[in-house]
Amino acid sequence: MKANEQIPRNALVWILLGMAALLAPHITRLPLWVVAVYGVCALWRLQIYRGVWPFPKRLVKLGLIVLAGTGIWLSYGSLLGLEPTVALLLTAYAMKLLELARRQDAYVLLFLGYFICITEFLFTQDLLIVLYSLLTVWLVTAALVALHQGARAHIRLAPLRQSGVMLAQAFPLMLVLFFLFPRIGPLWTVPVKTHAARTGVSDNMSPGSISNLSKSDAVAFRVSFEGDIPPKAELYWRGLVMSRLQAGVWSSFNYYEVPAAERRAAPVATEGEPLRYSVLMMPTQQNWLYSLRYAESAQAGVMQAPDYRLFRPVEVEEQYRYTVRSWPDAPLAPSLSDWRRLAELRLPADDNPRTRALAQQLREGAGSDAAFVEAVLERFRQQPYIYTLQPPLLGEHPTDQFLFDTRRGFCEHYAAAFVTLMRAGGVPARVVAGYQGGEVNPVNRTVIVHQFDAHAWAEVWLDGEGWRRVDPTAAVSPSRIEQGLEQALAGEGSFLADSPLSPLRYRGIDWINSLRLRYDALTYRWQSWVVGFNSENQLQILQRYLGELTAQKFVLILLGSGLLVLGPLGIWLMRARRGPAMDAVTREYLAFCARLARLGLQRGPGEAPGDFARRAAAAQPANAEVVATVTRLFEQAQYAPAGTMQREAAQRIRQSRRRLRPR
Amino acid sequence: MQIQGLVDGAVAEVGRVLLGKESQIRLALCCLFARGHLLIEDLPGMGKTTLSHALADVLGLSYKRVQFTSDLLPADILGVSIYNRNDASFTFHPGPIFTQLLLADEINRTTPRTQSALLEAMAEGQVTVEGETRALPEPFFVIATQNPIHQSGTYPLPESQLDRFLMRLELGYPHPKAEREMFQRQALAGGDSQRLEQRISTAQLTQIREAVAGVHTADSLLDYLQRLVAYTREAPEFAVGLSPRGALALLDCARTWAVMHNRGHVVPEDLQLVLPAVVAHRLVPSGDFSGDGMALVMQMLRKVDVIRP
Repeated sequence: MKANEQIPRNALVWILLGMAALLAPHITRLPLWVVAVYGVCALWRLQIYRGVWPFPKRLVKLGLIVLAGTGIWLSYGSLLGLEPTVALLLTAYAMKLLELARRQDAYVLLFLGYFICITEFLFTQDLLIVLYSLLTVWLVTAALVALHQGARAHIRLAPLRQSGVMLAQAFPLMLVLFFLFPRIGPLWTVPVKTHAARTGVSDNMSPGSISNLSKSDAVAFRVSFEGDIPPKAELYWRGLVMSRLQAGVWSSFNYYEVPAAERRAAPVATEGEPLRYSVLMMPTQQNWLYSLRYAESAQAGVMQAPDYRLFRPVEVEEQYRYTVRSWPDAPLAPSLSDWRRLAELRLPADDNPRTRALAQQLREGAGSDAAFVEAVLERFRQQPYIYTLQPPLLGEHPTDQFLFDTRRGFCEHYAAAFVTLMRAGGVPARVVAGYQGGEVNPVNRTVIVHQFDAHAWAEVWLDGEGWRRVDPTAAVSPSRIEQGLEQALAGEGSFLADSPLSPLRYRGIDWINSLRLRYDALTYRWQSWVVGFNSENQLQILQRYLGELTAQKFVLILLGSGLLVLGPLGIWLMRARRGPAMDAVTREYLAFCARLARLGLQRGPGEAPGDFARRAAAAQPANAEVVATVTRLFEQAQYAPAGTMQREAAQRIRQSRRRLRPR
Repeated sequence: MQIQGLVDGAVAEVGRVLLGKESQIRLALCCLFARGHLLIEDLPGMGKTTLSHALADVLGLSYKRVQFTSDLLPADILGVSIYNRNDASFTFHPGPIFTQLLLADEINRTTPRTQSALLEAMAEGQVTVEGETRALPEPFFVIATQNPIHQSGTYPLPESQLDRFLMRLELGYPHPKAEREMFQRQALAGGDSQRLEQRISTAQLTQIREAVAGVHTADSLLDYLQRLVAYTREAPEFAVGLSPRGALALLDCARTWAVMHNRGHVVPEDLQLVLPAVVAHRLVPSGDFSGDGMALVMQMLRKVDVIRP
């Protein structure tokens, strides 16, 4: 192998470091054996470098490829889809080390490294991950630099410094491209949709679905209010309205299950100033949106369902911001259509007989529907019901079992049981799923709603009033509503029991909490300004400053701002190459020579001033005196000891220049 | 004023025997003032010996001449110890090298062995014969003459030895006017060689040397010098660039030149005037270049910008 094709030791070390950094953020998503492959391949490559082991033979490599493919297939059950593909890529990347023989192989490896760096963004676009990616880009670039610094016996940090400088120089260009480069839709689709887990409240509710959600400390959405933030107990973020109970599962009607005449929401009489707020939602792969009751949004693409919830026709695949106006006190549907009334009263036949009996008994005892609601809530308050994240399993007639035997449950149990009771007692009622409460971040005054704020409650329809929100959980455990899940579960200790490291568990420690809130405020900005900077925002910003945007204008702006960034750099580099700046005397003298050149006397590059002066005097006797003076001044300023007369000489040369006469 | 007067006087005195060669005389003096050895290269009969003899007279130096032939041995130059029967001991008989100004005539006619014996003495300022080191007189100058190497029967000096000479001069044919005067004088005086007057004493020589040490060289001049040197190292016409010793020699000569013209500082012309004599014999043209060292020097002078790159 030629010496200039070898991979220097220093570069090999940087390549290995860069690869480790590329792998690190993926570790939690990868099967453990992929990490082991990295270790083995790195060791193997080091042994090759030391001359102990040979490069693998072709058959061995073929075997390894088959093994890796099989491994991925066994670990994920498929070779397609986002996660298996990324795992396959990372495994192949590790094994590429075994083919790292020449410089050209190292190029392939490192340029692929930049691509691998991007794959991380398919999973998360968190601020910290972005910073980390910059670090990996830095390391990979350092390896690329090291590859060009020749064979070195020892490991050096110089490539790191040099690549750092290079990245810093590229930074302004990065900003320009970020703001101005057109957001072109993908040419192919990465299969994100089908395999990414759906998060948030799902469209059906069975016992356990919401309590599962409550184990996660992930952020569901962040809300910023234009005015004051309403009290926590009022923050019921409606997501889904579930009117149908089938086989123990509550679910909502989809669009076509509602008769055509019922597909529009009945108009709502709104009065007074609405609450104005915008919601920045994390991707859920679902299409419903969250809002306070009764909400309207003027934003294109946000629609209203007949049960007064907001949704998007397309799923929320990336984070999504929408602005909403809400009138919390507006009456909803004071009159109910026959179809709707029937739908909201329907219960599966011969189910939960004891519940039905109780409902009828309580309804008869109460004088009105409103009193019936109160009686049921009173029963929840009086009887020993317990609010817990660890309810026992329920068998046949689950509501009966829950209401009369176990009496332990989470919000979904209470909401479902309450709605069942209401319907059995002849009052239209339905389950509403969404989030309740949220954490107010004092740093930027946003409300952070986490997955563990997921909640289910009920709505009952009362004659003359319309739909009224009733939260049976509030009757059982008032602290859940007023203080949140953590307080409500304080006795049980089950809050975020599965994530011991979540910073949310350490809210009691002041500095951790303040750090967490500050970081969250930063994330909010990051999410809304950087991650959320899509073609729409881009267009808006450009139009705000530049008026109507034509393709021509856009290209001009793009080129112009690129020039604005690169121009100064280029000028600086050119100046640096030209050497130190000229002093005033030389500049004036050269200007003098230029003037003489226009008069027909050109000084050759190698002609010394004195020689030139003699030639000039001979050629143009009229100017002889001026030339002699200037030359004497220049020689004195330039070659005589310690010229204090530099400035004066420059000035006098400039004055003399005007005294030159044409022939 | 004083030094320029001295120098002009010396130049005029030498000019009495070497007609119309003022600039070569001046350069030769410059070389001696800078304590360098001088190589004069020209065809036979061009006045090489006359010049060196005249310089010795004008500077009042003791003078010896060695005619180099192919059978000359180092001992013939350095001296030899001879057994003295009366004292029953060896007595050292110093060779012609023990003088202040040695004319090594036709140095390229002798063998490299003898050449190197001389050149060693030039570099060291001392002679070692039979294990005993003897100092040469102070000042010690060598003026060597050589025939152009394409003449037959010569041992051309290698580059490394050429480098020992501070300057190399070519005298060239005299100007027709000067030649006419020469003819007339020959007819008049009948060819008697005339004795010249001493114009510069050894003490004055030291004074000149001291003045050179005090000459100012501005940064802009050093920049020019560096550009010149860099050009010889970068341009494709040069097989070998100028060595740091060559560059230092150039600077030293330019400073001496400035003193000889009563200036306290060096100007680019000083460099340019001494440049051909100082560097032409040190430069080797590359295979593609058709000219010789002098053509290279002319190219340097033409291409390298005096004032800025």
